[in-house]
Amino acid sequence: MHKIRLFLIAALFLSGGLILSSCSSSPSDEEMAQLNRLQDQVRSLENDVRKLQGDKANLEKQVAEKNGKLQQCQADQEAVKKGMGK
Amino acid sequence: MRQTHRKFGWIVCLFLTALMIAVSPTGAQEKMSKDEWQVQMTSAKARITDLEKQQAGLKGDVTGLQGQSDKLDADIRACEDALYAMLGVSRADIEAFDKELSSMENRVAELQRMSDAELMTHKDEIIRIDSRLKEMAKSKIAMIPRYGDRVNSLQAKVDALMKSLQKEKTYTVGTWSRDRDCLWNIAKKKDIYANAWMWPKIWQGNRDKIKDPDVIKPNWVLKIPEGNELSKDEKSAARRYYHKKASAPSGAGE
Repeated sequence: MHKIRLFLIAALFLSGGLILSSCSSSPSDEEMAQLNRLQDQVRSLENDVRKLQGDKANLEKQVAEKNGKLQQCQADQEAVKKGMGK
Repeated sequence: MRQTHRKFGWIVCLFLTALMIAVSPTGAQEKMSKDEWQVQMTSAKARITDLEKQQAGLKGDVTGLQGQSDKLDADIRACEDALYAMLGVSRADIEAFDKELSSMENRVAELQRMSDAELMTHKDEIIRIDSRLKEMAKSKIAMIPRYGDRVNSLQAKVDALMKSLQKEKTYTVGTWSRDRDCLWNIAKKKDIYANAWMWPKIWQGNRDKIKDPDVIKPNWVLKIPEGNELSKDEKSAARRYYHKKASAPSGAGE
């Protein structure tokens, strides 16, 4: 009987401690909202960066193509000049 | 009494164990600790700083590239205008030339997939394409290498088609005893001219082999010239032959 009583007291202390420790270290709702806002901002920025990376890659491709086209046109001009000189 | 106490003790134990599980960190996994919150806040702020930096850099790159692209457009246009002015042609002329060439390229690609027999039915069209392509090759626009090269490459394909058209039909002479082959009978065959009176065409088309139209030898490969009527020369050769035959003594030349 005495042993049971001791066990009950120990268990009560233990569970009480656990409840207290878990309640006191949690962030408040306002803090959680703040974290959520930051995480939303991260996601939005990640999307923007991905889009900009895509735009940049497209433009790089376009610029390379246009450079090729310009060089081709300049070569054509030279060839025509030579051809007309004949 | 003692047993009732023990039972009560076990029930309380079970209740407390359940309560411990419920409030323990594993039982409330979604609940975040203040420390974890702090770590996540710091990490999110650092990530935002990093992403904003990347974003600014990328925006600068995109703006720079857009400017480069616009400048290239203007440079290309100026270069093309100068080129066309050199040749005395307009942009519209170039576009029309390009359109016509593309359409011919597509048509030639279709013709290339046809069999020789099918090609024969498109002979006029191929000749027309060949002639138009030769005109285009002489055009000033063909002086621009990118068009000149396309015209030349297409001409090579059309030449191959023309060659297929010109593949001469031939006939290998059999024996008289088995095939009854003579110029008259050969010309009469359905897959030759289906007209015996066309025999002088075979004779005149094979003058290197046939000296006397009454004499052809087995295994000779005779060219079968194209056409469905006799030319002036062929008619005149036939007349000479009949005249000679009529004036020769009976039995001669057989």
